[in-house]
Amino acid sequence: MASERQIAANRRNARKSTGPRSGAGRKRASRNAYRHGLTLSIASTAAFAKQLDKLVREIAGDTEDTIVLERARAIAQAEIDLARVRRAKVALIERASAFGELDPPQAFSTVTEIKRFFNAFDRGRLIVPKPSDSSATMPSQEPDRSAEAVRRVLPELRKLDRYERRAAARRDRAVRNLYGRRAKRTQFFLIQPMA
Amino acid sequence: MRRRNELTLLPKLPLLITESADEFDALRDAFEREIKPRGIIEQMYVHDVSAIVWEILRLRRCKVVIINSAFRSALEDLLVQLLKGPGQYDNEVEDEAEALAHAWFTDQEAKKQVSETLSRFDLDESAIEAEAIRRSSSDLELLDRMLTSLETRRNKAFGCVAEYRASLAHQLRESSDRIIAGKGVLRLEDPTSNRPTAA
Repeated sequence: MASERQIAANRRNARKSTGPRSGAGRKRASRNAYRHGLTLSIASTAAFAKQLDKLVREIAGDTEDTIVLERARAIAQAEIDLARVRRAKVALIERASAFGELDPPQAFSTVTEIKRFFNAFDRGRLIVPKPSDSSATMPSQEPDRSAEAVRRVLPELRKLDRYERRAAARRDRAVRNLYGRRAKRTQFFLIQPMA
Repeated sequence: MRRRNELTLLPKLPLLITESADEFDALRDAFEREIKPRGIIEQMYVHDVSAIVWEILRLRRCKVVIINSAFRSALEDLLVQLLKGPGQYDNEVEDEAEALAHAWFTDQEAKKQVSETLSRFDLDESAIEAEAIRRSSSDLELLDRMLTSLETRRNKAFGCVAEYRASLAHQLRESSDRIIAGKGVLRLEDPTSNRPTAA
């Protein structure tokens, strides 16, 4: 546990740095946690919002019950999220298949190359490094090329898999809630005493 | 007709440019014939199961290709180990191993030579496969985890369809029981007569 002195020092230090102050710095820092945009609400784009509304209406049917509509919206939203993750997966594989990797080629791909560059520089020679071309090491034939592309983006695919599982779980929960609500509504109308 | 309308509402499954849309449609149609989905929710689950199975097939294909593409370097490493005599260094046999490994894929004579070298140490061609698997084990492990996750989700989706149907059946059974028993059911009355007209 931190002592009183340590706590006071931590507080003093925290006051010294409270993040970026300029507008540009704040804007940049606001995107620090941004990775792939898959957690962004789908209603934020017009095309998705329209597709979402159609799907909600199809799931909910003719009802005007706001709770049913809300649950149908949750199902539709999760379903579109699922499709988005699947699109992202395919896009990653296609990119790796076309360029050999996701990140732009680096001037130095190994520590040995960096050492070689500085050794030559010390001797007064400047060797301009050529960026390595990852696509050159890709197999030219299918299905080997696609398989190699999948292999190269496996860690990213695994991360996306987590989002996919979450979206599917959200949809399943929403479906359960929806038929729970429908069952209650049916019961309600059936046991209404005659006026 | 209704089914087609429901399908157009569901987001399309994106495929790789090397994959066939017709093959995917055939797979989904096969599931539809088996499950016979009714309504958009069941249609959604069938679509999900088809997408999951499609991805499982894609990853399984990759698995085989990954192992196959590690074969050459696996054979090279194995040959270096087997050809190296006592007191010899790896680099003394590396060229021979590389040439032999290269020829193994096309030349029957080279294949025979490799088999003989392997049998001298009580090994056979499965040793090459084992080395190829060992070399790609980190990728295969990731692939396996993804395959397991997909298989779990596929089974869950089947479970969800069954649960949804059971719930619907239960709901309908309860409603019909109440109607048959005539207990507490809302009745519509004809204002001109004393007889109830509908239940």
